[in-house]
Amino acid sequence: MLRVTTAVTAIVLAAGAAFAHHGWGSYDAAKPVTVAGPIVTSKYENPHATVTVRSEGKVWTVTLAPTSRMSTRGASEKVIAVGNSISAYGYPSTATPDEMRAERITVDGKTYEMR
Amino acid sequence: MTGEAPAIFVALEQSAFGAAIRQSTWLFPAANVGHVLALAVFAGALAVMDIRLLGGLAATSPARVLMRARSAAIAAFVMLAVTGFMQFSADASHLIINPVFQIKLALIGLGLANLAIFEFCVKRSIVDLSPGVAMPASAKTAGVMSLAIWLVVAACGRTIAYF
Repeated sequence: MLRVTTAVTAIVLAAGAAFAHHGWGSYDAAKPVTVAGPIVTSKYENPHATVTVRSEGKVWTVTLAPTSRMSTRGASEKVIAVGNSISAYGYPSTATPDEMRAERITVDGKTYEMR
Repeated sequence: MTGEAPAIFVALEQSAFGAAIRQSTWLFPAANVGHVLALAVFAGALAVMDIRLLGGLAATSPARVLMRARSAAIAAFVMLAVTGFMQFSADASHLIINPVFQIKLALIGLGLANLAIFEFCVKRSIVDLSPGVAMPASAKTAGVMSLAIWLVVAACGRTIAYF
């Protein structure tokens, strides 16, 4: 019984690994980037907030944190409002071009941890 | 990203319902928590049923144990479906093309098919059995299938976020 379950689970995980695209596994922690510029769009939503940021001729999608954690740490909806200037430090996605997951963001001189 | 989601799932995600779940501070986490608590009840009830089918809890009347556990399992499954649909609606266009989510859905189908086979083909051979009487092979097979399928479904559920 346990052997069957373990085997099936292993197969499921192995099959899924080939398509990996979400979660921390698909962000490259070895190549941190800083994306700085004006916020173009802003979603204060679950499971995590996201902003798009115009930086050096590109529009980055920056994945942030769950809204409850954001607001607990003072990063309210107003902090990431469209038009605000943001600097996001984080890791680029290995699956989606121009997407990154922020470790921390700085807006108006204040830094907010996202993890 | 492994492809484009069918329009109906894009529409669900963009519906007022999907948006409400994303934009509320507490609805999404509440669905998360409700899903896990319902899973605990579901797994417990199923374990009682499956263990009885496999010949454990031998001193009990199979029909009674199965009926009581079945009620709890059905209630928990409804709760799982509701909280699962809430989470799905918030991000339907991505989830529907997530390979682990697809495996999970297929296994839920398999688990329900196993239950249906049990209900309509196997159950009648065991409901009148007295305590202490050995279970037929068909009942044991249904129990093993059920345990294996639902454990992997649970593992898939936790794993979706990593793919």
